[in-house]
Amino acid sequence: MPIGVYVCHCGLNIAGVLNMEELKSFAEKLPDVAVARDLQFSCSDIGQEQIQKDIAELKLDRVVVAACSPRLHEPTFRRAISKAGLNPYMLEMANIREQCSWVHMEQPAMATEKAKDLIAMAVAKAALLKPLEPESIPVSKNVLVVGGGVAGIAAALDLADSGLHVFLVERRPTIGGYMALLTDVFPTNDCSICVLGPKMSEVYNHPDITLITYAEVLGVEGSVGNFTVSGVRRARYVDEKLCKGCINECAGVCPVEVPSEYDFGIGKRKAIYIPYPQAVPLVACVDPKACIGCARCVEACPAQAVKLDQEPQDFKLNVGAIIVATGWQPFDATRKEEYGFGRYRDVITTLQMERMLNASGPTKGDVVQPSTGKIAERVAFLQCVGSRDSTVGNLYCSRICCMASLKNAQLVKEKYPHTDITIYYIDIRACGEGYEEFYVRAQKLGINFVRSRVSCIDEVEGELFLIFEDTQTGEMKKVKHDLAVLSVGLEPDEKADVLGNLLGLSRRPDGFFEIAHPKMRPVEAHIDGVFIAGCASGPKEIPISIAQGSAAASKAVKLLHKGVLELEPTSAYVDPEKCIKCKLCVDLCPKKAIAVKSPAYVDEAACKGCGSCAAACPADAINMRFFSDEQIIAQVQAATEEKREFPLIVAFLCNWCSYGAADLAGTSRIQYPTNARNIRVMCSARVDPSFVLEALRRGADGVLIAGCRIGECHYRDGNYQALQRVNVLKGVLEKIGLDPGRVKIVWCAASEGEIFAKDIRDFIGELKAMGPIGTELKKGLSEVKNEETALP
Amino acid sequence: MAGDERFKQEVLRLAGAEVLTCIQCGTCSASCPTAFLMNPSIRRLIKFCLEGKKEEALHNETLWLCTSCLLCTVRCPRGIRPKAVVSALKDMAEREGLRSKDAAYEQFFLKQIKDYGRIAELALTAEFLLVFPQGAVQSMQMGLELLPKGKIDLKIEKIKGRDEVKRIVEELSK
Repeated sequence: MPIGVYVCHCGLNIAGVLNMEELKSFAEKLPDVAVARDLQFSCSDIGQEQIQKDIAELKLDRVVVAACSPRLHEPTFRRAISKAGLNPYMLEMANIREQCSWVHMEQPAMATEKAKDLIAMAVAKAALLKPLEPESIPVSKNVLVVGGGVAGIAAALDLADSGLHVFLVERRPTIGGYMALLTDVFPTNDCSICVLGPKMSEVYNHPDITLITYAEVLGVEGSVGNFTVSGVRRARYVDEKLCKGCINECAGVCPVEVPSEYDFGIGKRKAIYIPYPQAVPLVACVDPKACIGCARCVEACPAQAVKLDQEPQDFKLNVGAIIVATGWQPFDATRKEEYGFGRYRDVITTLQMERMLNASGPTKGDVVQPSTGKIAERVAFLQCVGSRDSTVGNLYCSRICCMASLKNAQLVKEKYPHTDITIYYIDIRACGEGYEEFYVRAQKLGINFVRSRVSCIDEVEGELFLIFEDTQTGEMKKVKHDLAVLSVGLEPDEKADVLGNLLGLSRRPDGFFEIAHPKMRPVEAHIDGVFIAGCASGPKEIPISIAQGSAAASKAVKLLHKGVLELEPTSAYVDPEKCIKCKLCVDLCPKKAIAVKSPAYVDEAACKGCGSCAAACPADAINMRFFSDEQIIAQVQAATEEKREFPLIVAFLCNWCSYGAADLAGTSRIQYPTNARNIRVMCSARVDPSFVLEALRRGADGVLIAGCRIGECHYRDGNYQALQRVNVLKGVLEKIGLDPGRVKIVWCAASEGEIFAKDIRDFIGELKAMGPIGTELKKGLSEVKNEETALP
Repeated sequence: MAGDERFKQEVLRLAGAEVLTCIQCGTCSASCPTAFLMNPSIRRLIKFCLEGKKEEALHNETLWLCTSCLLCTVRCPRGIRPKAVVSALKDMAEREGLRSKDAAYEQFFLKQIKDYGRIAELALTAEFLLVFPQGAVQSMQMGLELLPKGKIDLKIEKIKGRDEVKRIVEELSK
């Protein structure tokens, strides 16, 4: 296997520090090396042509480029060798610029020694490279959108307009979500259903959207590109195709009346009902809990659509991507007992206020005291009910309630100019385009603002009293109101738990679904092919939910529009002979890519190659196609072949953060000692304890493992797994008489070059204090001897 | 910060670091059953602590008006324990030698138990009012109303076995 080694001058960036001649002649003597050259700029056309020429003439079958960071030019050289007919994965790079010449500018001799090791390590790894073929799999061009609120609607329409087919699954009998129930919406006070209604019917009429309402997802299998989703459509007891939506005929004869959940309890509906006049689909639905089975609706229906013997229907869908738009649920105000919601009739929630203000709502737009039915004259809005409140476990701000109360207060004031309205707030949060102006508008309308969090509401002889301290004047007050509106916060929808568990979505401490990166990947889940839009990932206003729906749609289009998915050939694979079926890997896998089949089976479309399973497998049955056990062990052995300095550190750096930090230390020219020999791995969790033991056995004085900062792992929790393994390893070292401090785990973000350099310096200091590896064993041995001689 | 940082840190140590997260919403003061008598309110007391205003935080009546009902602590949306802040300030006030009415009253109360084995109301009130004369006039007026109704005992009664009670008190005071 002839290997070509190319040592790059990079102008003077490398050659200004390292002795190129020495490196070239060192490389020539390494096993399997057919040619070693130094190139002025290996990435230039001339450099690339030289490599291609050698491949052709010397029949090289693998190439090592000792130059800059692979994070910079690995793609360049992969392209170059594949043009010359080599498999692109037959390339290995030695990072002698960012991680050598730029960080050891004052120690050229030691830096050259380090560079030799880095080149030897790369050659050793190169000898074990295997050609990898990026596989491509056909993918389904269907997308499942779960949740028919405004975010789900936005996603569904964008997807369908882009030519993909959408299955929109909604739990309720109608789409539209909470937005469809609101009255006018901030900050322009335009009618909510007037802007949403047309979108709802567009969904209904779109040829590329299959609308499945009153249904639930019960099973998800497969992975990105090819999910199989099963679910059930609950029985409406009304034939969707026959029902004309006239509702008066059937509901008119229905004898049962129950509080309507679409009016949040202040209005009523019949046992056979349509949620609201603009519902989509406009089809009646029988509430089986309320229905007494009298069948008068069956007789009354002119279209004979009511079928009380209807059965639930199972469905099965094949989709390439899933968009989770499961939304939110209002905070249950009865949990704040001091406000008396549920006990005092004139204490209501924002959503009940929305329904009252709604012209098609239960009061036809009148704002009344529920206890008397009279128009309310003194209205109070209480902010932060169930938000910013650790006593109910919701520390977060629900973002929309300040604006919602400002809006409702304006609407009440405009309708009844003499109403006395007070908003009790801790802070008014009006951050958004036109929002502060909206606040000013409310102030100018004469709405009162009291900076206070109301401590409790008392009802005395049918009258409500709010008790609070006006924190700006310091006065304790007890003030009478006719109607108190609790501005309830947004909580994650409990019913979305089923789907979350099926998909393996993680939740943040606040309970909402966690996105893949809190800033950079706002609509992606940790699981490939799954996207999250709208309030499912936290409270949001309407425009942001729509933007997220569209963003998730475009991500799904990007993923599926070609009809095939190219897979990185860096995945894990299982040796079925060795697998002992312990299922440890199944639990560890952050991508849920390993199935509980017997033996374990890796879904290569879902695997992202972190390698945690390979490190954990007690039977060594899992290996990686790239960054294989053998390759890494070869690097460790090459690094320790000749001990060129003390202390010698073998360092494992995760590709995403700490390798980036080491590169950044280079580009920032942060100087630190030469002792570390860096090995790139995809994740700190890839570090198999056997790599560490091999390094120490062969004379490395210490092993450093560097991962992303805790909580920032690119594979969710790989660094925690690495930490756990290091702790176990430390115990092992202690047992065999080695100082557990010889293994160290550190965290640094890709922006923390300085911290990486400091970690190296600190570790060197610690290892110097310990002495060369084995010092403690000799010491322990002599102590034992002393004890023996001391015996009589 | 211009305030007394050491004082602030001491309050945080005794009452918990959550005090730092106060948003001055006034839930504590508005929940307090004796808030109408307090000046400053508990909310402002907490602000004084955070500003390191030791004088204002320790020299006030608010501390001694707290009934320990814990409503403030139950309702605080930040999980702060305003009652713990009050207790911390009381401790500090006593350590500083600030004589509180409570402490003085407790002292007289205990002395009578030691001497007589029980309380002589008139003597106790008199002793207390000599040290804290504010309100003496109202107390005397009320006393004059109660006297003819036989509600006040002028005698000082002593119980049997006073030595043993004295020993118990002394043993427990160690």
